[in-house]
Amino acid sequence: MIMTSNFDAIIVGAGGGGAVIAKELGEQGLKVLVLEAGAWYGNKKWPYPNQERGAKSSSNPDDLDVGLLKKYYTKYENDMNDVVSGKLRWGPADRRRPPWARDLPQNGFVWQASGVGGTTQHYWANSPRAYPLAIDNVWPIPYSELIPYYEKVESTLPVYFAATTSKEELYYYGASKAGWSLLDKVNITSPGYRPQPNAILPPNENLMNPAYTLEQLSNMEGCTLAGHCVNGCPHGPTVDKIAKRSTNVSYIPLAMKTGNVTIQPNAFTTRILTDTDPKEGLRAVGVEYRDTWTGETQEVRANTVVMAAGALETPRLWLNSGLPHNSWVGRGLTNHYFDAVTGIFNEKELNSILGSPGVNSFVGNTSGARFDYPGLGCMLLFGLSPGLFSTLGSLSNAGYNFLHPHPPDEPWDAYGRVVGVPLKEMMMNYRRMLSLLIITADEPLPQNRVTVRPTLVDEYGPIPIVSYTPDKEAKNKRNQLAKIAADILKNAGAKEILRTDLPPGLFLHLESTMRMGYVVDTSCEAIQVKRLFIADNCVHYNAIGGANPTLTTQALAVRTAEKLVNKYFS
Amino acid sequence: MKPGNWPIVEPHTRATFQALVEAIIPYSPTLARFGNEQTFGALEEHIDEFMILKLDKLLTSSYGYYSCRIILSRPTAFMLDAAATQLIVTGQTQDPQTFQFPYGGPFTTLSRNDRFRAIELLEKVKIDLGSLPPPYQYNAGLVKFISGALNWMTTSGYYSEWSGYGSTRLGQPDNRRVEFFPISWLQVGYPGPAYGYRDFRGFLLNPSLRGRDDHDL
Repeated sequence: MIMTSNFDAIIVGAGGGGAVIAKELGEQGLKVLVLEAGAWYGNKKWPYPNQERGAKSSSNPDDLDVGLLKKYYTKYENDMNDVVSGKLRWGPADRRRPPWARDLPQNGFVWQASGVGGTTQHYWANSPRAYPLAIDNVWPIPYSELIPYYEKVESTLPVYFAATTSKEELYYYGASKAGWSLLDKVNITSPGYRPQPNAILPPNENLMNPAYTLEQLSNMEGCTLAGHCVNGCPHGPTVDKIAKRSTNVSYIPLAMKTGNVTIQPNAFTTRILTDTDPKEGLRAVGVEYRDTWTGETQEVRANTVVMAAGALETPRLWLNSGLPHNSWVGRGLTNHYFDAVTGIFNEKELNSILGSPGVNSFVGNTSGARFDYPGLGCMLLFGLSPGLFSTLGSLSNAGYNFLHPHPPDEPWDAYGRVVGVPLKEMMMNYRRMLSLLIITADEPLPQNRVTVRPTLVDEYGPIPIVSYTPDKEAKNKRNQLAKIAADILKNAGAKEILRTDLPPGLFLHLESTMRMGYVVDTSCEAIQVKRLFIADNCVHYNAIGGANPTLTTQALAVRTAEKLVNKYFS
Repeated sequence: MKPGNWPIVEPHTRATFQALVEAIIPYSPTLARFGNEQTFGALEEHIDEFMILKLDKLLTSSYGYYSCRIILSRPTAFMLDAAATQLIVTGQTQDPQTFQFPYGGPFTTLSRNDRFRAIELLEKVKIDLGSLPPPYQYNAGLVKFISGALNWMTTSGYYSEWSGYGSTRLGQPDNRRVEFFPISWLQVGYPGPAYGYRDFRGFLLNPSLRGRDDHDL
């Protein structure tokens, strides 16, 4: 034991994984410090989180303040999600400052958020399990090993199958008519469609009761189908009862209730501190961090350190700390090689299927239904506010569609980026569109990676340099899924189909940059550095077959907490 | 006097971004048949200013321990001119040049479609990288990143609430106020942020995940 330590564990990052392991370790009686680089929305100690430095840390659940959360989560898409100055950007709390730098030498952008809750603040809360096909005989641990941890996270968040709104109804109609099966399972071994298992509370039972106003309902427990999942959910009576279960409203309140967890926002970890122990060898003994408001640097020590800074920042932190060389640190980056296929419907068709002239995809869970195809990947039915929706459409890698007429035998009417008057005409159909996001089961390739270069630095050290190019196999899988998407939309009655060709550089699901079996062992402890654990998407051996990664990271975080306690604190 | 964080912008830069956003989302009198609101485009909603604001704050200097902004709007405007010049001298323009934007360079003299042809030279890096200004010179990665962003940033600004910030739009993010409903949201029929919608149509599956197939494997 390191006697000078006040903390048993330091966790770097309060996002999808860090918040979970903080709660689990706190429950086991460990004294835990969570260092988070971004802001904290919804805590009394930061009444003006973007304007003033506020307090240093918070550990009392009474500090949580739903009024503050509602004030700052405005649901306006530019205010929340602008990648340059949005509240849910990857950057410091002070929005006068630029976002934190990443070098991305290709078309696209990295859609991550700093702050307590991390990227789960704007995630769609889709919480499927990995496909067993992608785990069994592939990962160093079997799928059955994950099941109890999946169950625990699913009941803690909690996760439910999503409610049906117009867009889901139209999608189910098309998927069923196209001949696909309804999957009523959570362990998925065959293709088909199903409601999303979402970390979103079911709708309030009085949602359809006009005796309650929608504003009243937004202050009660249960989802109001407002559709703002992607722009931050402020709906609920208290912070811990907010409808969308980002970790800042689920695991963070639970962690604080243990009485053992202190959370410090505005603290950017820059270095893992190590020493060499005669028995253990090289081991982590603490971290160095920099206050994002003052620029002051501090060291803090603990018996164990957990990196949960995400698939770009965790390898960056390893590399910038001078930890031992490992050729797989930062390598094997997967990103699910996305694409989007959209159907445009006419009112008559919609009236006959839905009994209303619009799909209104902005209503309901941002994604309330999915299609799973183990071996290929999956698809998410989605609806976004118009700025974000048009962003996805403009992010094409295929150039301007009017410059590249596509072959007539393809199942889409337009391919690539639509601009000018045709763009305006397309957006006039916004209420009559149904879109599917394609997620490809890409495989980790060593050349896809995050790295650093000593000449490219910001105030926190060398910045992540990100590169990702899908291979031929991923392209084939994506094409197959796009054809299925077009077929489902046509069966649903779409009169026109648009395929975007999203660029490989659109980063939404970054995974597997510190893979289990290469950089960490099966307990998610670094093979080369004792007492250093990882609890984020990095440790995934692969892209889990295309399923959304967060639930698997959270299940592993629960498991890692158990392993950490057993090894060092029992 | 411009409020907040509006930088000093040269007329040439301003004209170039006007030509850019006006091509992507044009003023379109032909759409008046669907309602007068459908005619408005990105120029009327000041999206050229949005682009300059965003580009000038997107990147920080990565060459020292002091983070300073890289002012990208001006070199980006000159990069668009370099692409336009290459399009013109290699005979790839399809339409005659016209002078529509005072103070603008070659890019602004192109037809809308030719402006896209010029941007595509950048996206595909079919451009003499030596002819570009720093930080784009011999930097294909940055050229690809920004030439792609010219598209999605424009639409993300236009179709969001940004234009509704009205007189406060150029202020610091925390000093802005939504003053009116953005015309782009009228155009697409988006009602804006909501407390909720009464469109609950039941559940296809019982919402509980339990008792399904956990131990069937």
